[in-house]
Amino acid sequence: MIDCDVHPQIGDPEELLAYVEPGQREWFRGQGASLGLPGYPWTHPVSWYRLDLERNGDGIPGSRADVVAREALDAGGADLGILNADDAVTLSLMASPYRAAALARAHNDWIAERWLDADTRFRGAIVCPAQDPQAAAAEIRRVAEDDRFVHVLLVGGAERPYGEPRYLPIFEAAAEAGLPVAIHSGGEGLGIAAPPGGAGAPTFYIEWHTVGSSASIVAHLVSLLCHGTFERFPDLRVLLMEGGIGWLPGILWRLDTNWRALRAEVPWLERKPSEVARDHVRFTTQPLEHTDGHDDVLFEMLAAVGAPDILCFASDYPHWDFDEPRWTLNRLPAEWRDAVLHDNAVALYGDRLGLVAA
Amino acid sequence: MKSWQDVGSVEDLERAGRLVARVGGREVGVVRDGRRVYAVRNRCPHHGAPLALGRIRVREAGRPGEYSTPGTRVLRCPWHGWEFDLATGACLDDSALRVAVYDAKVSDGRVLVAA
Repeated sequence: MIDCDVHPQIGDPEELLAYVEPGQREWFRGQGASLGLPGYPWTHPVSWYRLDLERNGDGIPGSRADVVAREALDAGGADLGILNADDAVTLSLMASPYRAAALARAHNDWIAERWLDADTRFRGAIVCPAQDPQAAAAEIRRVAEDDRFVHVLLVGGAERPYGEPRYLPIFEAAAEAGLPVAIHSGGEGLGIAAPPGGAGAPTFYIEWHTVGSSASIVAHLVSLLCHGTFERFPDLRVLLMEGGIGWLPGILWRLDTNWRALRAEVPWLERKPSEVARDHVRFTTQPLEHTDGHDDVLFEMLAAVGAPDILCFASDYPHWDFDEPRWTLNRLPAEWRDAVLHDNAVALYGDRLGLVAA
Repeated sequence: MKSWQDVGSVEDLERAGRLVARVGGREVGVVRDGRRVYAVRNRCPHHGAPLALGRIRVREAGRPGEYSTPGTRVLRCPWHGWEFDLATGACLDDSALRVAVYDAKVSDGRVLVAA
């Protein structure tokens, strides 16, 4: 089993600051535990983290490689876990691209030395300052030389949808390195990001977590398809993470319908967008929507747009809304399980996963 | 031997922009594209719109971020904008759909459609 979404936490900020270039270290130190990252307007109403996890001396779960290996990999039977930056991925929403670039470099080096070196079952995600796409591309090229990093990680919150031409250097660098680009929900409305959802700022965390985090993923998906990103980069794959998947058939069918009528705007789209998505876009399973007894409807609709081939398992350890692997396994149709838990990730990441026992 | 049905005058076609007539029991619309006339069944296979009320335009093509108009002339349905190749009747936006097309010509100021 391959877990595509494990979130390593920064426990002691000083551990990360050691990787920040000396000239910027004092600024980051002055920001305290936030590291200058944009903050949410709420504290979490329950807890950002599962409450059963071991907490390091700093009180933060998931901040030590040996603990994460035990709790995220051993406990659920995962062979590999991909470490996606948690709050740090919102560095691309910082006002200063220079701070963001420094933090991205530090985070990538911290992941390599403190996590990937610590356990060979971890794989890395490259964070980059998306608000400065040229700098982001340079960082992708630098880190991609370490083949333990398996994808580029962008955050859902953004100034514009990622199909916009300003972001092309990021996708070009990823495609050149043979890396998928993962877009993980989060950060919508924070820092320099556009407001979530298109109807103004939500009142509650529950609204943000329902609308913001899925609407951004929808927006990026539709944008990438409409701009012809996959026509530009025929080998590029995109992994959309934690934005939900129940909406996917409806959005793709709506986009196909609109494409028939409105293709003059995007005449480079010679194939139905849903067909392009099926070939190029993958989705992580968590949070797999609860259907109140209608799983058959959910899976039939997902099958109509390419499941199980488009789905990769993710747990979202150590968050409060994580999906326990056996729970996901038991819900999936039996004939989907191998593909979702293992084979699709192997196909997506290829050699960078290393040799994995089935 | 093809038989031709007189569906109106060129003058009427120019004035109205289209002619509509019954040909072989079906409603057929005639549209003009420069000096050429085209006849199609006047019913879009998508939702049934009167196709003859659509516009003739050049369909765009291109690579991502670039636009060109290589020359395919299409009839654009007046309802949802789906486009039909005037020569073949093929719907270029849904390969499952096609509208019947009829031979049409102008002779001595009259518009004739193959019956």
